[in-house]
Amino acid sequence: MNEKLRERARLIRERSLVRAWEYRQRAYSKGVWFRFRRVLVDAAEAWIIDEADADVLELRGHITHPVGRELAPPKRLFFLTREELEPVPHRRQVPVRLHGELLLARSLAFLPFASQR
Amino acid sequence: MGSEVPNLLEPDARSSLVVSQDVDIAVPVHRHAAVKARLLEVRGLARSEEEPSVWLPTEPELIEVNFIGRDEHGTRTGETYVFEDDDLPLLVFGHLSLLRQGKTIAIDDLSIPLPRPAGLILEKLLTDRSGEKGDRDLLVALALLLVSEAHDLAEIETLYHGLSPELQYTARSGLSTLSLLEPIMSMPDPTLHRTLVAELLGRLERYEPKQ
Repeated sequence: MNEKLRERARLIRERSLVRAWEYRQRAYSKGVWFRFRRVLVDAAEAWIIDEADADVLELRGHITHPVGRELAPPKRLFFLTREELEPVPHRRQVPVRLHGELLLARSLAFLPFASQR
Repeated sequence: MGSEVPNLLEPDARSSLVVSQDVDIAVPVHRHAAVKARLLEVRGLARSEEEPSVWLPTEPELIEVNFIGRDEHGTRTGETYVFEDDDLPLLVFGHLSLLRQGKTIAIDDLSIPLPRPAGLILEKLLTDRSGEKGDRDLLVALALLLVSEAHDLAEIETLYHGLSPELQYTARSGLSTLSLLEPIMSMPDPTLHRTLVAELLGRLERYEPKQ
């Protein structure tokens, strides 16, 4: 009668083995999703920007976040102030979530939460 | 110890945060016999034949009750296992050992012992479930954060530092997922509380070695 419970316990133990593997992989490509999500956590707003605008930001000395370079194809991820973002001509705000538009974008600008500034 | 806890922790137990689908009752394994005896007095619920740790409503205004095991002091603390019993078997969840006794609230003639928010928040963040059930666990953690006070946040830090590095990573990963969730009907809207989640994550990371 307790077979279902035993099966659930087995599945939970199995998932903990997967979790242990994921933890061991955290510094490698498997961990990039956590690192990318971690960047998004600090973003109050996310904006997709043009490649040309991203070039200009880099030329002006804005440093891209390293986790973007771990992705394939790489993304340029900038944290900007509102004053730095407003002059960017081609920008479109998207929700801060893991959705298709955000995942497909090659260049993104984020505004940090006030507490992160 | 499920989604109804944040509701009951609201002022006057106003229950506005989450619409619960069922009630989870954590049974300390050393109290199993006493709980089993009291079940004989329960009316309006009947044990499920398929899964005897679940009691199903026989009256329309009631919801399902799940009895789950908690082993805080035994030799198997932290382990997930089946507590075998013909009448009331329990799936004992290892992470429930993080729970600490909190306040007991009185509603009519019922005394309802609740866990403190900190342990339950971490237990929810360590959820191994995926899909909507996993998202609901994370949103329950958010609901608990919304009723937490400064001392609860300090307790989360203390409990967090007692976790293994692997579980700490899982908890941080859970918070990052919570920050990016879409709203689900009848649950707190995570998009309105992202600052709170970011601040808690930042707080937990203060002592992390840089990777």
